[in-house]
Amino acid sequence: MAPKIALMIWDQGGRLAQAVDLAALVKQLVRAKGVVRSQVISDPWTPELLEDLRKAIPAGEINRLLWVGPFTSEQAVNLEVELKAAGLNPYLHHWCDLEEQGVGAPEVDAKIRHRKAAALLQMALARTRLLEPLEPVELPAADAMLILGAGVAGLHAAASLVDLGKRVFLVEKESGVGGKVALLSRFYPRLCDPHCGLRFCLDKLGASPRAEFHTLSTLVALEGSPGNFQARIQKQPRYIREERCNGCGACAAVCPVDLPARQVYGLENIGQLLPATGKAIHPAAPMAFPAAWVIDREHCPPGCRECEGACPSGAVELDQTPEEQVLQAGAVLVTTGWDPYPLSRVTELGYSRHGRMITNLEMEQLLGADRLGDGSIPALSLADLKEIGFLQCVGSRDERHLKYCSSVCCAAALKQALQVKERAPEANCYVFFMDMRSPGFDEELYLRARDLGVIFIREKPRVEPAPGTGKLAVSVIDPILGRPLRVNLDLLVLAAGMAPSQGTPEVAQVLNLPQNSYGFFESHHQCHPEESQRTGIYAAGCAREPMKVGHAIESAHLAAMKALKFLEGAFQVAPTFPVVDKNKCDQCKRCMEECPFASFVFDEKGFPIPDLAKCRQCGNCMGLCPLAVISLKHQTIKQTAAQVETMDASFMGDGEPVVLAFLCENDAYPAAREAMLSGLPVPPNVIFTRVRCAGSVNNALVADALSFGIDGVLIGGCQEGQCHFVRGSQLVQKRSGDLGDKLKKMMIEPERVRFASLEIRDAKEYMDLLHSYVADLKAMGPNPFKI
Amino acid sequence: MPPRVDREKCDGCKAEEEPLCEQVCPGDLMSLGENKKAYCRQPRDCWDCMSCSKICPVGAIETRMPYQLGYHVAKLIPMMGTNTITWTCIDINGKVERFRYKNRND
Repeated sequence: MAPKIALMIWDQGGRLAQAVDLAALVKQLVRAKGVVRSQVISDPWTPELLEDLRKAIPAGEINRLLWVGPFTSEQAVNLEVELKAAGLNPYLHHWCDLEEQGVGAPEVDAKIRHRKAAALLQMALARTRLLEPLEPVELPAADAMLILGAGVAGLHAAASLVDLGKRVFLVEKESGVGGKVALLSRFYPRLCDPHCGLRFCLDKLGASPRAEFHTLSTLVALEGSPGNFQARIQKQPRYIREERCNGCGACAAVCPVDLPARQVYGLENIGQLLPATGKAIHPAAPMAFPAAWVIDREHCPPGCRECEGACPSGAVELDQTPEEQVLQAGAVLVTTGWDPYPLSRVTELGYSRHGRMITNLEMEQLLGADRLGDGSIPALSLADLKEIGFLQCVGSRDERHLKYCSSVCCAAALKQALQVKERAPEANCYVFFMDMRSPGFDEELYLRARDLGVIFIREKPRVEPAPGTGKLAVSVIDPILGRPLRVNLDLLVLAAGMAPSQGTPEVAQVLNLPQNSYGFFESHHQCHPEESQRTGIYAAGCAREPMKVGHAIESAHLAAMKALKFLEGAFQVAPTFPVVDKNKCDQCKRCMEECPFASFVFDEKGFPIPDLAKCRQCGNCMGLCPLAVISLKHQTIKQTAAQVETMDASFMGDGEPVVLAFLCENDAYPAAREAMLSGLPVPPNVIFTRVRCAGSVNNALVADALSFGIDGVLIGGCQEGQCHFVRGSQLVQKRSGDLGDKLKKMMIEPERVRFASLEIRDAKEYMDLLHSYVADLKAMGPNPFKI
Repeated sequence: MPPRVDREKCDGCKAEEEPLCEQVCPGDLMSLGENKKAYCRQPRDCWDCMSCSKICPVGAIETRMPYQLGYHVAKLIPMMGTNTITWTCIDINGKVERFRYKNRND
């Protein structure tokens, strides 16, 4: 469709007419290619004007609109919606603000202002001519959420999703649900039994036809895209039919196996916490839901089938084999949780050698059941413990082990000390700490513990076995008394750090989900803590970061809320996604390699195409394509190249350099706009254009600008680590560096291409940057390509 | 004279089995070495067409001028725009000339 452009210049308050010769501009532009009308308006909301446009559009007199003026983005959207009713596609508008480019600045020579305005309008026209009508794309979506890990975070999110009418698949690798929280005797700050909250969720889920539990299962493959994931899960045999077993326990009576629980469960770190069963057939753990028991077949004596006959409901099925199943889900919530840092690695403590040293998780068992699971610590009853020590930061905040704070152990130690003091007020509790970290209202725990006489010592003690007593001799210099203190402890509780759960690397591999340097799943942590770098996949709870139970539940709900978009049956994608020109693409696959969100897939002919559901439309593919054949719709390479080519490289007159700036719309552009509109004396030499991300600027566009005689090209992006699209700024800096090296060979100053990182309020920094840049360019002299 | 690959810059076109220079070379002369850096297998067969220099996304390939046109110090360097090629020619006396060509393949 041949462009028929109406040029609407909104001269708010007559400011533009004062700054430039508006009549001459209009006269000049009305002759430009594709322009059918050009008018100056004092008020874009007069009914007559809108009525006029509403008539002209269906009549075919106008098919594109170039609005010039200080429109806010809300005003722009309103006008687009207004005229959509008349039949003009919202993507056929272009908005050009001359004042934000400094055309109104009174200190600038009138001639320059006029030429700059003309140049900007020509550039805007060049883009407007190439605008295309676009329609949003609707993609189908399932209504189910796949939740990996049925711990406290996963269960709470599942319960809420079921309430909202969504289906959930809970995939749990253990035989039972509840995760680590089910192993606690109490959780803080209210010191109530965690099984109460877990049971509440389980009752809700159990009663709902929309919740499906897959225990003893792991995810082995994930295909498809957000809205339509196909998750292949593998279920290990339980050897018991879930629908028949009600946990009566008749089988355990005949099971001939007698093993310590630690060995039965095969879990080194939490072994002591599990119920003291010595049988190969036992209830599911941590919480038996569904009620069915489980058989550890590797411990069964050869040929033994005793339980089969003993089961009154015929639930035992010893010949089960692993099964695979494919689940259709719209989004994935990863709540794979944590595991205690293996204390056998903290060798100086000798944890595994001394029975009086237990982890804080084992202490939960002691507090809950008054005994430890497999009897490996004889006669250890709470009533016998008179001197109890708590050693904090075992593994945490330690360069050799975990460099981070595990965030819950201080409050957990306070909670445990409080429980000890409540039940045995005469027992002495000593907390050896680096820093007590009880943020927010958790401080109350500290205050209560202090009031109850818990002794806090800010020092790492020396621990050794006390000869002849079986106890632990602990010596430390109390920094408050300034005196050495020596005490024989009945029990030392070690605050084992929180590490990502052992299955995390496999999950990360199957989901292609980036992990941070500590092994937890990567997150934005700040503005979008739920967001991972894979669209439709969300990490929550301690899989993302060490956090307390309350925060884990919150984080899971946040993730569930964000994921709802993909669980609604269908979702819309803005039509500004990238397209690959397959006539020119030579399948180099650089886009696949560098896409920060791994959203490229192969089409049937081996060309890379973006998966629209995964794509976040940052345009980094457009920036890095070596052949410049990927374009974001509505911001195509062609449209930008047309603008660059049209740019008048001598609007400043002789001897003054001209700069084209590509500014990231998130940070650098608002900074530049602020600088101009707040009246800072910004050099007039710069014309900027906003881009989706600094990383979307292709070197070919920079080369274009230089070869058309523009003296300098500035790329404004974010600071390292702040890019909204992970590493757009980093990629564009690398490419600008490569181009600079080429320029050097071409006997052109590489400094003509400059990258600058700007934050959103860096208006003054922007001004300073331009002053120094323009001065540098002036010293270099004109671009040799200026012809 | 054959293309010279800057080993520091060449990234072997990342995941690609066939790097871009290999795909584009009309004589099928470019290849990836064991160090995942591109090299010219048969320097004597190079026609100096400069396709590899033009396409290299990181600017790692420089084509030396053929002896018929100049000695080592002479250079011809392309810079690829969206629809233009801009050439810089530096002769043996250091004289620089620049040309811009518009492609017509749209």
